[in-house]
Amino acid sequence: MHETSIVNSIMRTLEMEFEQEKLNKMKAIHLKVGILSNIEPRLLHNAYSAYHITNPGYHRVALHIESTKLKIQCEVCNHITDVKNYRFICDNCERPSKNVIQGEEMLIHKVEFDD
Amino acid sequence: MSIEKSTKAARGTAQCENTNINLLKANDFVADIIKKEMAKTNTLLVNITSSAGSGKTTLMQKTAEKLKNKLNIAVMVGDLETERDAERIRETGIQALQIVTGGICHLEAQMIHQVLDQFDLPNIDLLFIENVGNLVCPASFDLGEDYRVTLMATTEGDDKPKKYPRMFLTSDMMLVSKSDLLPYLPFSVEAVTKDAREVNHELEVIQISSLTEEGIDKWCDWLVEKVKQKQQV
Repeated sequence: MHETSIVNSIMRTLEMEFEQEKLNKMKAIHLKVGILSNIEPRLLHNAYSAYHITNPGYHRVALHIESTKLKIQCEVCNHITDVKNYRFICDNCERPSKNVIQGEEMLIHKVEFDD
Repeated sequence: MSIEKSTKAARGTAQCENTNINLLKANDFVADIIKKEMAKTNTLLVNITSSAGSGKTTLMQKTAEKLKNKLNIAVMVGDLETERDAERIRETGIQALQIVTGGICHLEAQMIHQVLDQFDLPNIDLLFIENVGNLVCPASFDLGEDYRVTLMATTEGDDKPKKYPRMFLTSDMMLVSKSDLLPYLPFSVEAVTKDAREVNHELEVIQISSLTEEGIDKWCDWLVEKVKQKQQV
């Protein structure tokens, strides 16, 4: 259910962003989703396939999903830590940090169109 | 980094547009509208999240009972089906509106915005959103709330914060609910607090029981304080 809402939201967002004429030439959508976004790429691909049943207009548009790992940057020492086991603590100075710089994103980061 | 490969062959030339659009831009746009509406009337909006059956509705009843003479409170409550929760909350004498999502597992900003005109906002100090019982997707949908409060029942086991990290990372307060059952359960408040604070070191924690009223005064004082702060702005 969650993935279906997200696919609907992606398509609604693209329709807000681009003219219909351009959308007719859309070839691929590239997403970047962080490990913290609660988006499972395989399930999103399935939901996207299901979307085409009711919205056949976009059935030629490919969907690419890139997952990103979780990183925080310490506000005190600026060190960047790869977060493991959801311990949001700086590797260098051991201070806790909520400054997530990667891994939370849910982005449409590239859209391809036919010339 | 794993990249899902397309099975479609590239053909002809392509034109690319590099964007950085949030997938939930449509939701966040509406959440901003809600924030502005709430700022006009200085109404504090609190989003209550948790798993199913952790005591959200019972807490709403208890909170209404304790604070209804001090504050004007209203609740909107989301469920997949039935009016049951709103009916239970109305019994305490406050306004409650049921949002039936019809199978959707979370509330979206649009659903909140659609029902806002059912409330007399200038006369409401504190508006609760009792979210659908689910620790996964409600974490991703901003509803324009001032604070997000997550209930973590002792019956759920103390290992949940690391299993559902985004919910605890985005919450301001964790209420460890059903504390009256602690003597009968292998649940450690210390362990759950430690785990949750490893995810979010700013998380406030209160141990409560809607049955014995443990921690309820502390919770109500927190709400009254936040309402005051909102009204001073």
